Amino acid sequence: MRITSPQQLEKLRKECIARLDKFPRKVLICCGPGCLASGAQKIVDEFKKKLKSKRIKNFSVEAMKETGCHGFCEQGPLVVIEPDGTFYTKVKVKDVDEIIDKTIRNEEVIERLLYKDPKTGNKIEKYSDIPFYAKQTRIALRNVGKINQCDIDEYIATGGYKGMAKALTKMKPKDVIEQVKKSGLRGRGGGGFPTGRKWESCAVLEEQPHYVICNGDEGDPGAFMDRVIMEGDPHTVLEGMIIAAYAVGANEGYIYVREEYPLAVINLQKAIEQTTEYGLLGDGILGTDFNFQIKISRGGGAFVCGESSALMKSVAGEVGEPRAKYIRSVQKGLFDKPTVLNNVESYANVPVIIDRGGDWFAKIGTSTSTGTKAFSLVGKVRNSGLIEVPMGTTLREIIYDIGGGLQNDRPFKAVQTGGPSGGCLPADKLDLSVDFDTLTKAGSMMGSGGMIVMDDRTCVVDVAKYFLAFLNNESCGKCVPCREGLYQLHALAVKVSEGRATEDDLELMEKLSENIVLGSLCGLGKSGPNPFLSTVMYFRDEYLEHIRDKKCSAGVCRALITYEIDEELCDGCMACIGVCPHDAITGAKKKLHTIDKSLCDRCGACYAVCQRNAIKIL
Amino acid sequence: MTINGKICKAEEGEMLLAVIRRQGIDIPALCDHGAVEPFGACRLCMVEITKESWDGWKKHVTSCLYPVEEGLIVQTHTDKVIELRKTVLDLQLARCPGSPEIQQLAAEYGITQTSFEETIDSDNCILCGLCTRICEEMGFAAISTIGRGHLKEVGPPLKEPPPDCVGCLACAQNCPTHVIPYEDEGIYRTIWDKKFERIQCSKCGKLGITKDFAEALIKMRGLGEDYFDICDECRRKETALTMGRISQWEREVVE
Amino acid sequence: MKVDLDKLPEIFERYPKTSQSLIAVLQDIQKEYHYLPDEAMQQTAEHLDVPLSKVYSVSTFYNAFSLIPRGEKVIRVCMGTTCHIRGAQQVLERLENELGIKAGNTTEDGKYTLETVACVGACAMAPVVAVNEDFHGHITVGNCKKLVK
Repeated sequence: MRITSPQQLEKLRKECIARLDKFPRKVLICCGPGCLASGAQKIVDEFKKKLKSKRIKNFSVEAMKETGCHGFCEQGPLVVIEPDGTFYTKVKVKDVDEIIDKTIRNEEVIERLLYKDPKTGNKIEKYSDIPFYAKQTRIALRNVGKINQCDIDEYIATGGYKGMAKALTKMKPKDVIEQVKKSGLRGRGGGGFPTGRKWESCAVLEEQPHYVICNGDEGDPGAFMDRVIMEGDPHTVLEGMIIAAYAVGANEGYIYVREEYPLAVINLQKAIEQTTEYGLLGDGILGTDFNFQIKISRGGGAFVCGESSALMKSVAGEVGEPRAKYIRSVQKGLFDKPTVLNNVESYANVPVIIDRGGDWFAKIGTSTSTGTKAFSLVGKVRNSGLIEVPMGTTLREIIYDIGGGLQNDRPFKAVQTGGPSGGCLPADKLDLSVDFDTLTKAGSMMGSGGMIVMDDRTCVVDVAKYFLAFLNNESCGKCVPCREGLYQLHALAVKVSEGRATEDDLELMEKLSENIVLGSLCGLGKSGPNPFLSTVMYFRDEYLEHIRDKKCSAGVCRALITYEIDEELCDGCMACIGVCPHDAITGAKKKLHTIDKSLCDRCGACYAVCQRNAIKIL
Repeated sequence: MTINGKICKAEEGEMLLAVIRRQGIDIPALCDHGAVEPFGACRLCMVEITKESWDGWKKHVTSCLYPVEEGLIVQTHTDKVIELRKTVLDLQLARCPGSPEIQQLAAEYGITQTSFEETIDSDNCILCGLCTRICEEMGFAAISTIGRGHLKEVGPPLKEPPPDCVGCLACAQNCPTHVIPYEDEGIYRTIWDKKFERIQCSKCGKLGITKDFAEALIKMRGLGEDYFDICDECRRKETALTMGRISQWEREVVE
Repeated sequence: MKVDLDKLPEIFERYPKTSQSLIAVLQDIQKEYHYLPDEAMQQTAEHLDVPLSKVYSVSTFYNAFSLIPRGEKVIRVCMGTTCHIRGAQQVLERLENELGIKAGNTTEDGKYTLETVACVGACAMAPVVAVNEDFHGHITVGNCKKLVK
């Protein structure tokens, strides 16, 4: 069925809403990455099976939705009953029967599946009352967790393709650009470049053809916002790209999806097929004379391909080696033609900006960082998951109000933001506003939205070493400062963590870092030393402790710690003996175990399994 | 534009490096070569640039890749730039401690020993990429880069004698650190473990290019089938003879 | 090891015959055969009219490709930042111990390949281990043995 006018689209919208209203109550099963990894698929299958066989008034398997990430991954698998708002956590397959019989059939709430607030000890029924959700504002994630993943009818029912229809039939390309400029939208991939300006600089170029690319590479370890959007609401990405293509005069677009996200590729492909079938993508979109095709290009597994020029080389089937960007990719991008490249989350905001106007968007957030931002709040925080908050929210609000503070109430040490290009910020920076510029001034950056919380058991030297190893592995190898520089910087970080470094080495690391930043060809190299530079700025004492005292207070750096079993606490369960890879632990059942320090390499396996906290790290 | 305080002219479309060199200023540029597009990999040719309208804000760019602009103010030997060159050479020395070319270049910048950990079993390849770029430019693309990052190397596909190699030696002859070996023995030439037969001049017997290279050139440039059967020198003499512009005495000598 | 490459023509048919399709073609070959056989790379070079050196360059640049056969079950331990601070290194070492191989290798019987992966985007369930297409969260030293039983 091809939709060839905005009126037809509105008619379809009403039909879709009516269809959805057929069963006013619905059960939503979260199929986000976290819940999938906890077994959500089995819960979906069980619901399908049971709903098909049971007879329930005003309910059927049609009222069941497999949605994208609802956000509160720590509490998954999640099941939500709408419009009640009832929120069930850590659901197991054996709970499904009860949920259907009690909650769906009789509107009874099952207490034991409700979220328990650790502060008050109370159970909370509705997710909107849970602190994790209460402080969020979802724009990019507006549909994720609410609609069936990649279902175009549901997308249309919630207002989908309205913005696109407005742009294509009521606005000129330059009007679209004007609205995006007014909105103040800045690149959500981390670069923060004003989106409207980028589109404008491409639109005016005479050289044809123009291209529109969506960067779905999301290489930052710890970040999964884009994955969630691509899987949970792929249509918003398509709609954003169509609007962009119309604005800059492009007829061909690519979505570059990371190799490690096969489900995102499947959902995006489905969405493209659905949209094309409806005549909302392809030739003569919505009955206008605007043509636009989208193809999916899969990454091959290379962090450097998140960099725009490397990404474009990868789309062209080549090795992802960046080029110096003295001539911007907006001018010479894919196949050397004018190209607009934006991040998934940036596109997800576009349909709403066009529908409700740039001014509306600009009212949210701060004056220089408008709108909201999605974050993956992970690490040693109590409430791990995916959130979206207005720009300007402070780190403290995010980590404590939404995140619920640190696991086991351990002391906060640092929060790592911005991925490998960012840095660690200590406790006295918790009241900083999260936006594009404030964190950068403090030596880190907001980046793509990864926010990793660390407690006192995290060693910053180890963190720096980890990131340097990662970047070293991912370096394309083209330029000397990055390829050789990061390799040597990592080697020196290893020296520090093993207690073999001198203070001269620390100075050498700082000087080397300066030159890597100055001399590298692309962003990977230029920001590569950041994990080291930011940690040495705020935690210099910890580095010096490793160097002068050969000590690791966090108890992480293996060469500087020893493991011992506490006599009082050990109950002789033999769990540690079972996991020690070096057979360094001896002992009999119910008798005290001992560690042979000459064989022990402090790998941490015993520490991880001991239920009595009897393993001491010295 | 101005380079080190001196005003000079440049052509639109030129890169900074060419203009800098024209002023007689010597800056190293290991991965640069007239026959191929600039690459920007070695970073040694970096310079500081600014403009009056930039209000004191400076930028550092690789001059081999930066297109000239009206009013550009360039400094090629500031403290920061020299510091950067030193670091790059220091790092290269760590990678190729036994390379005489790198040792010499590093010494020019005051570095006799690397501050870093020397990479073991280094083959003195500085990964400038010239060999692969030139091979591609020649039209063969027989070798390429392999892998990425610190373990990147240059070599033939599948680590076997490259099927597309014709033994033209462009890679070996343009390698800045001379690490591509080749061997000439009798009428045979071996490079990348591939053995080629060289053409012998039908007139004087001198050994010339490989048969494969000759075949490729004949095809690429539309030359006669027997074009390479005589060497250049003999061809010159033949041509001269045919054109009849030599004296009787010379004719006797040649014959 | 001789591999029957009968699926190649079908894979070639899926994509336009240009150099742009190189990565996609190689990915499908990787998925079908669990690695990139030499002969397959040679045929790809011929079919797409791309120098063999370029095919080799691409296949060695990206993490997705393996030039040696992978096992039936590919175990990928996520080494992303969150997984790292929640103990991924210990999980990796435990699995190395259980399988008797180091990361990047395959067991002698061809059943398991153990690898690391940069980040699979399930960070809230860290540490995460993927076995072929299935993702498992909250894997620890204590429970990771079940993945290789």
